[in-house]
Amino acid sequence: MEVKPKSACDSCAHFNAAGLKKLGVDTSSFDHVIALAGNPNTGKSTVFNALTGLRQHTGNWPGKTVTRAEGGFEYNNEKYKLVDLPGTYSLLSTSEDEEVARNFILFGKPTVTVIVVDASRLERNLNLVLQILEITDRAVLCLNLMDEAKRNDIEINTRTLARDLGIPVVPASARYNEGIPELIQTISEVANGTIVCKPHRIKNIPKNIEKAVEDLSVEILKEYPDMPNSRWIAFRLLEGDQHIINLLQTGEFEEYIS
Amino acid sequence: MKQKNIDNIIALSNDLRWQIGDEFHDNLAEGIYADAAEIVKVSVHKPNGDNRLRLDAKIDKIITSKTWGFPLMFLILAVVLWLTIVGANYPSSMLAELLLNTIHPALKGYASALGLPWWLDGFLIDGVYMAVAWVIAVMLPPMAIFFPLFTLLEDFGYLPRVAFNLDHLFKLSGAHGKQALTMSMGFGCNAAGVVATRIIDSPRERLIAIITNNFSLCNGRWPTQILIATIFIGATVPASFAGIASLGAVIGVAVLGICFMFLTSWALSKTVLKGEVSTFNLELPPYRPPRFWKTIYTSIIDRTLIVLWRAIVFAAPAGAVIWLISNIHVGDLSIAAWMIDSFDGFAFLFGLNGVILVAYIVAIPANEIVIPTILMLTVLVTGISGGAGAGVMFELDSANATGEILRAGGWTLLTAVNLMLFSLLHNPCSTTIYTIYKETKSVKWTVVASILPVILGFVVTFLVAQVWRLFA
Amino acid sequence: MNTYDPLLALLVFLGICLLGFLFFRPNNGWFWLINKGSQSTDKIIVEDILKRLYHNENAGKYLNINDIVRTLKQSDKMVIDSIDNMATLGLVRISGDVVKLTKSGSDYALRIIRAHRLWERYLADKTGFNKTEWHQRAERKEHELSMDETNLLAHKLGNPQFDPHGDPIPTITGKMAELKGVPVSELKTHTIGRIIHIKDKPDIIYKQIMAENIHIGSIIRVVEKSPERIVFHSEGEAFKLAPIMAGNITVSILEKNISYEEDILRLNILKENEKAKIIGISKEIRGESRRRLLDLGFVKGANVSIDLLNPLGEPKAYLIKGTSIALRNDQASKILIKK
Repeated sequence: MEVKPKSACDSCAHFNAAGLKKLGVDTSSFDHVIALAGNPNTGKSTVFNALTGLRQHTGNWPGKTVTRAEGGFEYNNEKYKLVDLPGTYSLLSTSEDEEVARNFILFGKPTVTVIVVDASRLERNLNLVLQILEITDRAVLCLNLMDEAKRNDIEINTRTLARDLGIPVVPASARYNEGIPELIQTISEVANGTIVCKPHRIKNIPKNIEKAVEDLSVEILKEYPDMPNSRWIAFRLLEGDQHIINLLQTGEFEEYIS
Repeated sequence: MKQKNIDNIIALSNDLRWQIGDEFHDNLAEGIYADAAEIVKVSVHKPNGDNRLRLDAKIDKIITSKTWGFPLMFLILAVVLWLTIVGANYPSSMLAELLLNTIHPALKGYASALGLPWWLDGFLIDGVYMAVAWVIAVMLPPMAIFFPLFTLLEDFGYLPRVAFNLDHLFKLSGAHGKQALTMSMGFGCNAAGVVATRIIDSPRERLIAIITNNFSLCNGRWPTQILIATIFIGATVPASFAGIASLGAVIGVAVLGICFMFLTSWALSKTVLKGEVSTFNLELPPYRPPRFWKTIYTSIIDRTLIVLWRAIVFAAPAGAVIWLISNIHVGDLSIAAWMIDSFDGFAFLFGLNGVILVAYIVAIPANEIVIPTILMLTVLVTGISGGAGAGVMFELDSANATGEILRAGGWTLLTAVNLMLFSLLHNPCSTTIYTIYKETKSVKWTVVASILPVILGFVVTFLVAQVWRLFA
Repeated sequence: MNTYDPLLALLVFLGICLLGFLFFRPNNGWFWLINKGSQSTDKIIVEDILKRLYHNENAGKYLNINDIVRTLKQSDKMVIDSIDNMATLGLVRISGDVVKLTKSGSDYALRIIRAHRLWERYLADKTGFNKTEWHQRAERKEHELSMDETNLLAHKLGNPQFDPHGDPIPTITGKMAELKGVPVSELKTHTIGRIIHIKDKPDIIYKQIMAENIHIGSIIRVVEKSPERIVFHSEGEAFKLAPIMAGNITVSILEKNISYEEDILRLNILKENEKAKIIGISKEIRGESRRRLLDLGFVKGANVSIDLLNPLGEPKAYLIKGTSIALRNDQASKILIKK
């Protein structure tokens, strides 16, 4: 297991507060693109605002951010561009929001994808997390709303969670700015390759589907040997995703993955 | 070679998909949740099970109870509207005093000191500046009160419960419970209401909510309703009941708007929209204490100022047009007078007059300037004294003085009633039309949303006028 | 204004409304009639005859000219002319009075059936039209779709195997998934089976079955059988059907050792303070709605209970995977649970 499980104080020590500069909407030049994904109503926009110093409206209302918002911050002399994706329950459907989120994670080449989840509703949120981990292997889980989870007496073992998911897990309460420094530190470590993720892949699939996915994935890898997420592409092809099929047929696919 | 491989991949995927059959998506979704359950089992310890916080559950029990649910909802809506209308009075009149009675004469003074030609001075200061000033004075205060209040309720988590309580009513007319919220938002501003329909994730119900939002009387129209009701409806009853009668008339018009909203929703869902996909789900998020100042700040920045900016952008050219048509003369009459003349016969059929129709045409950009335009045009065509000159919109301090001008322009009780109806049922303002286009990205639905209310308005005023004349 | 009279104005207005109604009223409005008349009727008759022949031959019956004339709405002469025409084109062979499909006729018929079933599938998955409208709309659309359009449609839908009534959709090459089933009217008591097909013709019977809320994919157990009626239990409810209705529902018989879960219920009958496990979502919920429910956590094995009742009766809020989600009763009735 390459992942260093991070507890909050363990990373505090590394956090370099002097190196942080919130850039607001200035995303003119940057070294890394960070995608921010998550279910609706998990405080994703609050995390976005805490990271960028912006004040986007964050409603207690599922499906608030419909358009993509962008912002930036600078940490240890590297500039990060942050893209706030629409909040979705899943990436498997055809709705406009999901398409925006899915295509950005797949084709927008974010250096790191930060997945914001509601700590007291982890199981439901993992649906999206596991899908994203099929697409990308550089991700950070931001376990947000820890304050609410504590009020509900919910205990989460971030160590085993990070081990099972294969990505770093950072507990946070973005409303009170708790955990944000740790999150920034972890993002930078994943972006610079200090932490190498080994993401979980979906296991509980019926045998016939698993076999179909494998067969298809072998064919895809024959054509595109460097594809990191051939399994996801196989899922999408089996689903009949016209967007992917069109990209394959026109040959544009290559540009996106290279 | 490459193309062949890709064709192979696609052919293989088609083949495999056919073999797997319909179950693929179900199996995948179940598989992912099964994985999630396994992971959670190891890492999460929940001593209370899935149950929600006791306090949350208690609040919910009251808010959605048979006894308290609805009274509480109406109470909150009434308080919000009351705070908005009453609370906005004071800052509105202050702004009007400042922008219209102080800055406007001062600008005129500068202009003449600089020696600007009369037409440039009129065009810029009496036309463009006045329209913009009017929109700001009437629009800004209520929005700066309404939107933060609404946003606080939203952030607390109350609004989804309103949608939950009311969904059944909306279901009967083929709409989504969340339309209750976009509709209430429309009471503040229709453009904001249309943007708010984003929370409805079902395509059919979202279109219904967009098209019918205009039936919510927006804050540009409340003052018109209140003014006309005070002058004409209040006068029909003994003075001691005048206040109640005019208030009743205004509320009646608002309720009529809600009825039209339900009726139109139902008709749309049964006809043109029945082929659109319809889904329903409503998440009731946990209650979260809103962060007061932050909410106020963001709602003013996000909602109020953006909407205000759009309104100003549209109002400025309207002011210019209003000034131009009343100052450019063709023959011995101004364009405005020509238009009013030619519309008079047509307008008579609907119990209105040419002035009203012309005012509604040139004031498409903002409902706020309809009454000032009507007053200015009435003075223009009747030649009675009053007002500030051709093309200069004005309003009078007392309702009585306004009433005298309107009566001199030939207004009767019928004109007043039909104006109130037409103010409810006419095309959305151009800010809203533009917003509808941006949200739907469809010319077709933008046209439907713009034309439908006008047609309804003409039909309703026509019927009222004929029946009135038959029996009165 | 000297000719103006409010009564006259009202009458003129009413007249215009009446005209508008006559023109655009659903089904029989003049506008629709004119529209329909402009389509080429010859093609429609030919294709309708081919479909009739195909379905009957599949059931082992051969039709004669009289049968065909009787079952079609168009005038006798037009139908007979069309049959002659089809014989010259090599779509049918006429031996004596009996009309039989040739190979190319049967291929043509399959293409029409493919277009029809694909369009029904499209209406079910991608639009919001009510299921009672699918058949009628597909009956019109099947004549309008060209072969390329049909293939493109199939492609966009991901080449589905079955239409929403459970009928197999022929592939481009005419291959069809096999459908092995027995009509409910022929089941013995205590047989357990899964509904795999509900016939969408004749219209009246189909609408009655739909009104009973019987879904494809439901597991049923026959409890009583007599010449007058058939009674079966399914998803916590008892259904009593006349044999003519039961004959239009096909089930695949399940092995006896697959224990039939007598206690499978529909979510809408769950009461407050009761706990249940989700067994699955009925096939009646399709397309976007189905995906949404799955995404929200209404998956096999999830625990569910009522979180909030509604002052107006519906929607109720259900607690699923830690979140309160409100569903309307018609959705909840298609989610199967076990207490």
